[in-house]
Amino acid sequence: MKFINLLKKELSELINLQMILGLIVSLGIFMALGGIMNVTIDEAVEKTSNVTLRISDRDDTEFTKTMLETIKKDGNKIELFTTSGDDYADILSSNSINDIVVIPKGFTEDFNSGKRPQIVTVSRMTSAATISNINAGLSNSVTLIEKYLSEKKAETGGLDSKQYDLVKNPIIIAENTVVDDKSAAVSSDKIVGKISIQNMMLPLIVFVLIILTSQMLMSTVANEKTDKTLETLLSAPVSRGSVIGAKMLAAGLIALINAAVYMFGFKIFVGDATSKITDSAGEYVKSNLSVDEALKQLGMELTGMDYFLVGLQLFFTIMICLSVSLILGALVNDTKNTQSMIMPIMMLAVIPYMISMVADINSLPTVFKYIVYAIPFTHTFSAIPNIMFGNRTLFFLGLGYQIIVFAICMFFALRLFMSDKIFTISLNFGQKTKYKIKKRKAVKENKTNS
Amino acid sequence: MEYVLEVKELTKQYTKVLAVDKVSFTIGKGEIFALIGPNGAGKTSTIRMISTLLTPTAGDAIVGGHSIIKEPEKVRESITYLPDEAGAYKNMTGLKYLRFMAGLFTSDLDTLNEYVERAKKICALGDRLEDKIGSYSRGMIRKLLLARAVMTKPKLAILDEPTSGLDVLNAIEIRKMIKQLAAEEGMSFLLSSHNMLEIEFVSDRVGIITGGHLMVTGNGKELKERYNAANLEEVFERVVNEHEIH
Repeated sequence: MKFINLLKKELSELINLQMILGLIVSLGIFMALGGIMNVTIDEAVEKTSNVTLRISDRDDTEFTKTMLETIKKDGNKIELFTTSGDDYADILSSNSINDIVVIPKGFTEDFNSGKRPQIVTVSRMTSAATISNINAGLSNSVTLIEKYLSEKKAETGGLDSKQYDLVKNPIIIAENTVVDDKSAAVSSDKIVGKISIQNMMLPLIVFVLIILTSQMLMSTVANEKTDKTLETLLSAPVSRGSVIGAKMLAAGLIALINAAVYMFGFKIFVGDATSKITDSAGEYVKSNLSVDEALKQLGMELTGMDYFLVGLQLFFTIMICLSVSLILGALVNDTKNTQSMIMPIMMLAVIPYMISMVADINSLPTVFKYIVYAIPFTHTFSAIPNIMFGNRTLFFLGLGYQIIVFAICMFFALRLFMSDKIFTISLNFGQKTKYKIKKRKAVKENKTNS
Repeated sequence: MEYVLEVKELTKQYTKVLAVDKVSFTIGKGEIFALIGPNGAGKTSTIRMISTLLTPTAGDAIVGGHSIIKEPEKVRESITYLPDEAGAYKNMTGLKYLRFMAGLFTSDLDTLNEYVERAKKICALGDRLEDKIGSYSRGMIRKLLLARAVMTKPKLAILDEPTSGLDVLNAIEIRKMIKQLAAEEGMSFLLSSHNMLEIEFVSDRVGIITGGHLMVTGNGKELKERYNAANLEEVFERVVNEHEIH
């Protein structure tokens, strides 16, 4: 009953409007981000599937006219423009277009005389984003012109179209990807494309959660200490174990809610943002497997159980943060210092976060690998790749390591709270303690009086 | 005489500092005992040991028949502690805070309600109890905390600087409240204060502590006679100077 009373108090301290709004906003961000990605990818798919080739034929010979007619006959949409000069920005602006291929004067002459004819491609760049800069019209134009010229060259050399095709594509590539002991007839590029968004987002979620939960508990402990409500609590007829237990359980429950909401948001985001990539990739693969089927075949598809395991590891990561925050919060004697005290946790989160964004931790040199693995947060950052690539042993070893680290941190937190040190220990970051200030004032007053 | 508190050679050694050195005193039923001393004299360490927050290096204190070393849980059932400059949970309403604290002393709902009703009467904050503590003035918080400290009718209420930071009227009100609770309900108090006027008005007996040593105990009249002083402030000054010379 007394424990429930303590737990209710801790929960009411932690669950406030700010926290609920934070969760709702986070979930909203995931959904919106997934939606935005979906729209952007939709546009990109639209761009690639319904292409108009914009061409300016300045050579204007029978040869170029026949070439463009042939390309049109093959089912391509061509829009012809009359242009002059080399102010390409003006050409795009005055015609209200974003790309154009210019066939310059002398193109036919160069081709007939055995030289390599030149074409000019112009495209407008509107952002640095990869998806926004997909320009299928331009690349299709170049490919089709190249193909036409190659076929023409082959014809003059005495090759028929079948022989030409054999020269151009002497081998048939059957792409296969192997993960662990399973294989699928799909290119690894497509798999990477699909999972790169997951690998980018999950570390970000972990990083945000680590900072958020640490800050939350550290502030409540620091406030209890500086407001002396901790002294009041610990002088009441309840055990210190139940006071800390309630604090940890409440923070743990909040962390669990956070982890569940973030994982749910992540699942929505991943579903929205990658579904279209899969569809478009499927069209191009044609005879091959779709990426989703390939992921399933390779055992890389995340099941409900996998999400639960990742969530479990996320939970233990947060519990480690909470136990460390309990210790660090107890060391603070001024709530303003909590910002500085969060630094060690932040640094330990930043290192594996940055590494996991750019490299596979397993591929690091041995010494660095073990140093990075010694940071308990690393195991959550590498959780999804480990599960996807069948490194289950590594995953469970990481989970076990996190449980051990949590037990050790909790042991020290309990020892601190059970001892006198909870009231006597503090870090001042070079500031004068209240005691020292009071003592100095007293000495000054005594001197004045005497 | 029935003692609510018997402090026996209580000692606290921190790593480098001997904060409290063999301090002994007693507090009877319904008695108000004030521990006074300069900053860093060992008052708060003594109070924290009696409140079971700190573990004594040597000695013991018996509260209501229970040792602070052997039965700290039992001791905590008999005492309440109000730290110096203490705050309360700013996000809670005054009423919620009282209910929460009462819930730590009893699991029985009727007793809990009885404690809360008593606290409401003592603090006399009326409708403001429905407001969040964050909106309270310093005086209101102190009244709320004092009401919290006495609502469970503890055998011993330990109040560190009970009127610190309060204006004159609020301080007078709180002093009267303490005297009334001791006289009418037989509640014992261990106070610490820098305000000699307050000590003279409120306490039955005084203990002057300096450098970790309890130099002298007695009632105000006795001490003034012994040190040939006009008031308690002069007694305090002479005792502290005496200690520094020795």
